[in-house]
Amino acid sequence: MRLSFTSACCPSNFSIFTKPSLCTNLHRTVCSSSLSSLPTSLKPQVPLFLRPPVHSATVPDLRNWHDWAKNLASSVGTRFQDSDNGPDSSLLSRELKWLMEDAIEDHSVFSQLGIGNNQTNVRLKAGIEELYNLWKQRIEERRPFQYVVGCEHWRDLVLSVQEGVLIPRPETEHIVDLVADVVSDDEGLREGLWADLGTGSGALAIAIGRILGSCGTVIATDLSPIALSAAAFNVRRYGLQDAIELRQGSWFEPLKDVEGKLAGIVSNPPYIPSDNIPGLQAEVGRHEPRLALDGGLSGMDYLFHICNGAASMLKPGGFFIFETNGEQQCKCLVKYLGNDMRGSFRSLDIVSDFAGIQRFVTGFRQ
Amino acid sequence: MASQSVWKWCVGMRMSLGHSSSYYYNSSRCSSPSSPSSLFLKASRPASPLRITRRGTMRWRQGYTYTTTSNKVVENWKGKEYLELTDQELMKQCEMDTFKASGPGGQHRNKRESAVRIKHLPTGLIAQAVEDRSQHMNRASALARLRTVLALRVRNNVDLEDYSPPPELLRILPLKSTVRPSDTGPQIGHNNPKFRFGLQALLDLIFAVEGSVSEAAKFLGLSTGALSRLILSDDSLRKTVNELRASKGMKPLK
Repeated sequence: MRLSFTSACCPSNFSIFTKPSLCTNLHRTVCSSSLSSLPTSLKPQVPLFLRPPVHSATVPDLRNWHDWAKNLASSVGTRFQDSDNGPDSSLLSRELKWLMEDAIEDHSVFSQLGIGNNQTNVRLKAGIEELYNLWKQRIEERRPFQYVVGCEHWRDLVLSVQEGVLIPRPETEHIVDLVADVVSDDEGLREGLWADLGTGSGALAIAIGRILGSCGTVIATDLSPIALSAAAFNVRRYGLQDAIELRQGSWFEPLKDVEGKLAGIVSNPPYIPSDNIPGLQAEVGRHEPRLALDGGLSGMDYLFHICNGAASMLKPGGFFIFETNGEQQCKCLVKYLGNDMRGSFRSLDIVSDFAGIQRFVTGFRQ
Repeated sequence: MASQSVWKWCVGMRMSLGHSSSYYYNSSRCSSPSSPSSLFLKASRPASPLRITRRGTMRWRQGYTYTTTSNKVVENWKGKEYLELTDQELMKQCEMDTFKASGPGGQHRNKRESAVRIKHLPTGLIAQAVEDRSQHMNRASALARLRTVLALRVRNNVDLEDYSPPPELLRILPLKSTVRPSDTGPQIGHNNPKFRFGLQALLDLIFAVEGSVSEAAKFLGLSTGALSRLILSDDSLRKTVNELRASKGMKPLK
């Protein structure tokens, strides 16, 4: 894997993008600072479940913590749900169980928590005080559970995430199924070069890297050095250094050398309309990177930008799939691709997510 | 018949921890419960990794082909064929849905509601999974469960006149069975995915003999006790056999 940090901030040379009204938005505000905080100092946090079990606690101490945590979860009731559609007690209880799974080395301890006064020490991946702190952060600060444990289970992967990195969503899992369908009967796509724009934790790039053929590769781009360092950690953990290349930069900018050569483009760009940001669920709005959420006034700034770029970046017959905010954005995008960009793409389609919400736009380069 | 049109039976799921493997029966139409949790009337079932939702009547649903008057199975419901499908092929016969998310979903939300429910359209059987941490893994669990449900619920034609146990059934029999060839290999236990094929074939036979364990044991070269032990070793197998026996007025196996 090569981490090439090409210049992210050169607003010249935008000739390939045909929608001038958007150009002012194309460079996200943080990009001017992104080069100063470059890679080596960025050490990705190791997820809890991968840490060595160097801490310990007695069974009664652990039980006290668990009872306290359980009560704290119960005390939430439907308060979060009522205020911003956040998690209720039962979801928090499930998360507590997952936290224990990640923190405790020997899972047979679970059955002993309810009984006896066993004074034996349990090996832990975080000290008991840290466990108190972590759960307090979860409930009182609404810190996302995935940041608390430092990972998210996504498809059959366990991906490291941390503050500054978008937590991959279950809806996005479906993009991988759709790509798998497309490459299954097209060798050109299966062995080709793919791009994941705004890769975040690297979820899509890794999952797609695993379904491509032996010659297939993915270039994953992101503007955020934190995201790239998390992605690099995840790519390494799945041994995909040869199949995935990470490049820092805004959307297509780091991909100029492969213009017209891409077999496929996938992206889950920020698509939330700016004025929805203040009302987001606390876990999302207060803790996840705005850079990965805010899609501008209509939420579609980056979707338009990516569609414009896709026309010149994809090779003929190349496939694209983009995630959107829902029905309205899907329809708007298909209209744009079909009318304003007439002749560039064929077989445009809208695909629903598991909840039945129209979520993805797909198509092929003519 | 009146009750058939009123009751809708399904096994619900519990979000709370520690209970995720119990059976809950959901009588969704018979009353208007005030809180969601009261939708679940706990039935006294053994803990089982299986969660099934059946939307149908109180009778065995269509596709469940035993009758009370004859041991002749009238239709072949391709039970074995379903089990032989690959995951992908099986999924194509299914409709998947999840517990409907409220709101716009996607980037807006962080709720880890990754529960999955799949419905096998040809049979109407439903399996679901909730306890895994990702959507994808829940789907895989639900699919594995669906295979077990198909093995339990969809019967194949059995001709008792000319019966010999199929190889998949021989493999789950204890070695002392007198009809089990010595080259069948070790006995397959219920953690092995291939156990389902044997389980299905065993149920085909037991339904054909209308729930009589002693009759079935004769066909399998086993003592009644040995076959009982095999049936009791698997919770879902025991439950299915006992439901059949109850419908015939026979005592449950214990």
